[in-house]
Amino acid sequence: MKLINLGIIGLGYIGQIHLRHARKLVNARVTAVADISEKALRKAKRSGVKKVFTNYEDTLKDPEIDAVIIALPTHLHLKCVRDAAEAKKHIFLEKPIARNVEEAKEIILVTRKNDVKLMMGYPLRFNQQFIALKRKINDGTLGDIEIAVANYISTGPFFHRADVHTPIPVPEWWFKKELIGGGVLIDLGSHIINLLRWYFGEITDIKSHLGYRFNTDFEDKAVCLATFENRTTAIVNVGWFSQKYQLKIELLGTVDHAMAQHQPTNPMFTAIQMLITGTSQFYQGHKAELQHFVDCLVYNKMPLSTGEDGLKDLKAIEQAYKNQIIQL
Amino acid sequence: MSLVGFVKFNNSNIKETVRESLNLIGYSFPGYVQNIVIKPNLCYYWDCTTGQTTDPRFVAKLIELIRDETSSNTDISIVESDASAMLCKYAFRILGYEKLARKYNVKLVNLSGDSYRYTRVTVGKVKFQFMVPETIMNADLKINVPKIKYTMSGIELTCALKNIYGCNPNPKKFKYHRMLTETIVALNKIMKFDLCIVDGNVVSGVKPRKLGLVMASQDNVAIDVAAAEIAGLNPKKIKYIQLAEKENIGIASYIPKGIPINYFKARYPRKDFKRKLMDKAYTFLLLTGLNKKLGL
Repeated sequence: MKLINLGIIGLGYIGQIHLRHARKLVNARVTAVADISEKALRKAKRSGVKKVFTNYEDTLKDPEIDAVIIALPTHLHLKCVRDAAEAKKHIFLEKPIARNVEEAKEIILVTRKNDVKLMMGYPLRFNQQFIALKRKINDGTLGDIEIAVANYISTGPFFHRADVHTPIPVPEWWFKKELIGGGVLIDLGSHIINLLRWYFGEITDIKSHLGYRFNTDFEDKAVCLATFENRTTAIVNVGWFSQKYQLKIELLGTVDHAMAQHQPTNPMFTAIQMLITGTSQFYQGHKAELQHFVDCLVYNKMPLSTGEDGLKDLKAIEQAYKNQIIQL
Repeated sequence: MSLVGFVKFNNSNIKETVRESLNLIGYSFPGYVQNIVIKPNLCYYWDCTTGQTTDPRFVAKLIELIRDETSSNTDISIVESDASAMLCKYAFRILGYEKLARKYNVKLVNLSGDSYRYTRVTVGKVKFQFMVPETIMNADLKINVPKIKYTMSGIELTCALKNIYGCNPNPKKFKYHRMLTETIVALNKIMKFDLCIVDGNVVSGVKPRKLGLVMASQDNVAIDVAAAEIAGLNPKKIKYIQLAEKENIGIASYIPKGIPINYFKARYPRKDFKRKLMDKAYTFLLLTGLNKKLGL
């Protein structure tokens, strides 16, 4: 069986999560990591990563590396994907695919041209709760889904829970619209739109109402009304405004209703899980998506969430930005 | 003993609530002041509904009151500084202070970017040298507008004295954590605030709660004693309060005026046994470094 040598580019919040899980994958090992933070690299080295680089290009030059996990800020996606594809490395890319549709198209083009696989990081598709909901839709046990209600509300990038965590510095790119491409709709909304497209097919129409509680030029609240090609209507509520996390999908069908949610576990329970398994129930989807990526490389399969998916999600989001119900 | 005024928050007339708290302690704004500094508590990017940061609407009404009682031309600066995990410019924007500054024509000053003068100060046997921002040095009247909230173990309470910690322009504030008690007192010694008005509408105990309190005093030590009592803490066990009294910053006892303190004490979201146990477990994880290893 082929062993995939992985490189991780970017060891920020999500990059650290990927590193933790990538070390536990079957048929893969983390060979190299790259980040500008020496501290993050030292930590990675301590955890057993052989090669650490302050420049991601060095990771791409390494002939041992088969594939890279790109966990960089969105504005760096295009350049990094281009460099990785040209170095013939397969790519796992964090969502959103890019800041805008043009960049996303270029990302897809460059990966096709260089014949490398591109998988988008959408962990909800690999979460057992949401997979169970997909099965119910496919089985017909819910009948036709007339209405779907999706809530994804969290603390967002600069509003960490006041009662638990010591505040951590927020990278400045999070405050700049031109670097992130948009607010909560592109950040959390992309997860939901991707999941609902998996459930119901393509979006035929989408409108939005955006909110700006935190006085930035990008939205921190979005309520979207989307219609899908199978005629399901979805209400998508996303927000960065709450100390209380909620990720919940409710499906109202002609035969039955169903609900799935992703909940944080008790910190103590999480700690025990981490000690025993190296992952937690909360991040189970993150580990499963990486394993799927590795399996796709080993068995030469098409990933479940491709670059085209990322592009379609972004197109829907751009349409939602254009079709605002109430312009504030 | 110093006077501390307790007033129930009136949402429909915040300005009058503040005025009443000042009347209770017999305070009136000086007839002629040119520069006024207001120091709210901006902690990270936490919304005022969490009880962690001063509500800009409260500060807005205070500004209206100041202008009513002094002059409409009084220069008012709202000050805060960068911290290890917070950039002041974004905190001002996200927490609504930029909007407030535009509406009321007041200055927002990031003390970390202000001109400063080095000042030496000794607390007990510890000698410090701090950069004192010019905006604070040049102010005729300095008003402290803190919150009441629980904080890290060893310090326990954040209110008036601890809020002045944010006047230290050095953004790397964590370097003072090893002698936080002395640092808090030292900063209060070199930057003595004239008036303290606590925005206790929403407070942060074990969770945020609407306490509906406005508390005022000219003594930052006395008001901290009252805040500790409301939060269910023993002020005699809070080292920086005791040290501040020793250093003559204020008096650790007070004469209450207005609504009886028990009304607010009964409503404060205090720590129960389970929470105290959880805190101890979390402190253990922090001290052993296990929290990072476990990704918590």
